[in-house]
Amino acid sequence: MSVSAIRRLILIGLLISIGAALSVANPSFLTLDNLMTMLQEASLTGIVAIGFTLVLITAGIDMSIGAVIAITSMICVNFISYTSLPAYIFIPIALAMGCLIGWFNGFFITYFKLPEFIVTLATRGILTGLALIAAVKDSQGFVKNVFIQDELFLSFGETVGPVYIVVIVFFVLALATQFFIKRTRAGSNVYATGANPTAARLTGIDTDRTLIGVYMFSGFCAALASIFLCARMMTAMPEFGIGSEMDVIASVVIGGTPFTGGIGDIWGTVIGTLFLALIKNGILKLGLSPYIQPIVIGGIIVVTVVLDVWYKGFAEQRVAKLARQKQMPTREGV
Amino acid sequence: MSDKIKSTDSTLLLECRGIDKSYNGPMVLSNVDFSLKRGEIHALVGENGAGKSTLIKIVTGITNRNAGTMVFEGHSIPLEHNKNAAERLGIAVIYQELSLIHGMSVAQNIFLTKEPLFAGLPVIDIKKMNAMAQQMIDRYGFNLKATDIIDQLPIAQRQTVEILKALSNKASLMIMDEPTSSLTATESVQLFKIIRLLKSEGITVVYISHRMEEVFDLSDRVTVLRDGKLVSVLEKDEISPAEIIRLMIGRALTEDESHHRMVRKEGEVVIEVNNLCSQGKLKDVSFKVHKGEVLGFGGLVGSGRTELMRAIYGIDAFDSGSITYLGKPYVPSVEKSIAGGYGFVPEERRLQGIMGAISITGNIGIANLDSISSRAGFVSGTKERERAQQAIALLNVRPPNPDVLVGNLSGGNQQKVVVGKWLIRDLKLLIVDEPTVGVDIGAKEEMYQTIEHLSKQGVAVIVVSSDLPELTRLADRIIVLRKGRIIKEFIDGTVTEEEVLRAASGIIEGSAQ
Repeated sequence: MSVSAIRRLILIGLLISIGAALSVANPSFLTLDNLMTMLQEASLTGIVAIGFTLVLITAGIDMSIGAVIAITSMICVNFISYTSLPAYIFIPIALAMGCLIGWFNGFFITYFKLPEFIVTLATRGILTGLALIAAVKDSQGFVKNVFIQDELFLSFGETVGPVYIVVIVFFVLALATQFFIKRTRAGSNVYATGANPTAARLTGIDTDRTLIGVYMFSGFCAALASIFLCARMMTAMPEFGIGSEMDVIASVVIGGTPFTGGIGDIWGTVIGTLFLALIKNGILKLGLSPYIQPIVIGGIIVVTVVLDVWYKGFAEQRVAKLARQKQMPTREGV
Repeated sequence: MSDKIKSTDSTLLLECRGIDKSYNGPMVLSNVDFSLKRGEIHALVGENGAGKSTLIKIVTGITNRNAGTMVFEGHSIPLEHNKNAAERLGIAVIYQELSLIHGMSVAQNIFLTKEPLFAGLPVIDIKKMNAMAQQMIDRYGFNLKATDIIDQLPIAQRQTVEILKALSNKASLMIMDEPTSSLTATESVQLFKIIRLLKSEGITVVYISHRMEEVFDLSDRVTVLRDGKLVSVLEKDEISPAEIIRLMIGRALTEDESHHRMVRKEGEVVIEVNNLCSQGKLKDVSFKVHKGEVLGFGGLVGSGRTELMRAIYGIDAFDSGSITYLGKPYVPSVEKSIAGGYGFVPEERRLQGIMGAISITGNIGIANLDSISSRAGFVSGTKERERAQQAIALLNVRPPNPDVLVGNLSGGNQQKVVVGKWLIRDLKLLIVDEPTVGVDIGAKEEMYQTIEHLSKQGVAVIVVSSDLPELTRLADRIIVLRKGRIIKEFIDGTVTEEEVLRAASGIIEGSAQ
């Protein structure tokens, strides 16, 4: 069995056993209501994490995702407050804005050959400020809490049966993205660009175009999550999403996509997202202070990465050993 | 050389005439003719710097030529030729493993960017792709599975994947640059079979190698370059290893030039290495270096020279064997080696030797922190500067300004700074690996004088070099490595470049190899 398959089984095993332990510890954990709320939380993070995974596979990083969530919510709330445009017009516009931001990221990274971290961090700063400026203000200039009443918009926060729409969208998007990266040429290009950009270019892959596309997708995913978040909260705040990078990065890293590029997939991210949501929910259900959440998440990131690096070294040694053993007998014969 | 361009011969796949190339300044290639017949194995040989790589870059369109004509399959190739055009024409370079994508399967690598799709859909038909790849593999009888992941294959098989990739691009010309440098003997034999198979399929192979016996075994014709000029094109029956080496080295060797008197220096042994073994890299290597002696290590790239140096300096561990340093058993580690009076000038200057964004002062200070900082660990700026000035004066670094960033110095001066790091210490053993690669001639001479000066002062020096005149010029004794073993030692008397090259290539009278 491959390394990543074993890793995934261990993670699923942990997911189930932690879930079982929580059900015993607190009976209110294993209720339909709690599980559905947990899935909803997971899906909001998960949608962003899907886009982020693709960025990581290209060995890049997107620090602007949280700020894209903020600016998208402000775009929506401005449309709602100052125009009478219907949601089916302004939602696509908001999503397109997410793509546009991603395009800018990708453009600066590829055209000027700038480090991904710096470009997207700068974008994050700019968007955070713009979101505050764009926020709807009252007569004294304070940010006004706009209650969203648009029915079509709010329906994004609804459920189908017991399942929130956002959960369905998350799983469909995950399925589609997984299919895209594994079964299309463009998807292969994403892996190739991350694993070895020089080799990818030698093979004739337009790595710049691939990178721009990936950042656009990341921006799109963040904008999409923002719409579901606003619909669920029935309002929009310029702080929405700021700082959510932590949860997204944790989900993807737990899912087994490393920062080195060329490796990873969406299923890992889906499992990582569920794992993280379970931990967060567990902290609440065990009656622990919510303040320890970021500490626990930070701890999990470190432990995961340490184990991954350790195991990678171990696996590489084993491969090298096997390769040597293969060569040995023939060597003697020379 | 004919003045007129002959009408294109239909048996020729590629015909280059009068190729000139210079990179702002000196001519790298001048008036070179190079032609390839269809379905031949053509060796391209020459010493380092003879212009082989440049010629290949021109053929593959990575760089453009300044003048000359080039005809491929009857098509005239314009001066502004580019890589994509070359690929479309069917010219492929087999890189060692450079162009493979890790984490992907053999089939994915072969068909990257041209994966078979389901009819009418933008969806890759993985089954079909694997089957197509397996079919290619089986047709050529390679020992591979289409679904193998690249990372888990040994280098030789990765190379096979490269070849398959080129075949799937319908390449009619494959260029292999030192393809056997990291292969074992058996793997090399396997590769030769593949090359002959390619030939039988009508594919032309350009084979670049320093290993004369391979060239001799494989080639139908040999083109010899020297100093950017075409020396000779040998036909099958004219090829002999000795003749090729004579043509490569070229100039009529006068007694003075070719014969360097090596002087045996015996005295206090500085370092003694016994039966050093390192799996897959070194086998039973034993030698001594005496005080004030310059020991040269020759051998081909990949013969284990650099690995040996890294092992005795303490960068890489070794499996068995022992080292005695200054009369005591010694298990090397970098810290202990530095403290004990080693100096190490690594092979890749930019990568391992210098910190380009830091000044000369900083570069020299970093290797001498013990002597420039107080007991509490604070670095004394004055002392650091003094040290740097000392090294600059000693080695004549230009410009003699300790604040200049090392990255802005010329190659020769950068190398002086690397050496300078160690000079101002109590140096007992200096190891230099390819000291003058990318260094201009003037600086080269100064580097030699520095090494000679140090050995006169009693420092034991080990010089590793592929530059034969350099080796014969500097060394008091030369050891030639081949495939991780000591194959020949030239102790005293005289040695010629030719003898060293013959040993390194495995052509030795009475040798077991």
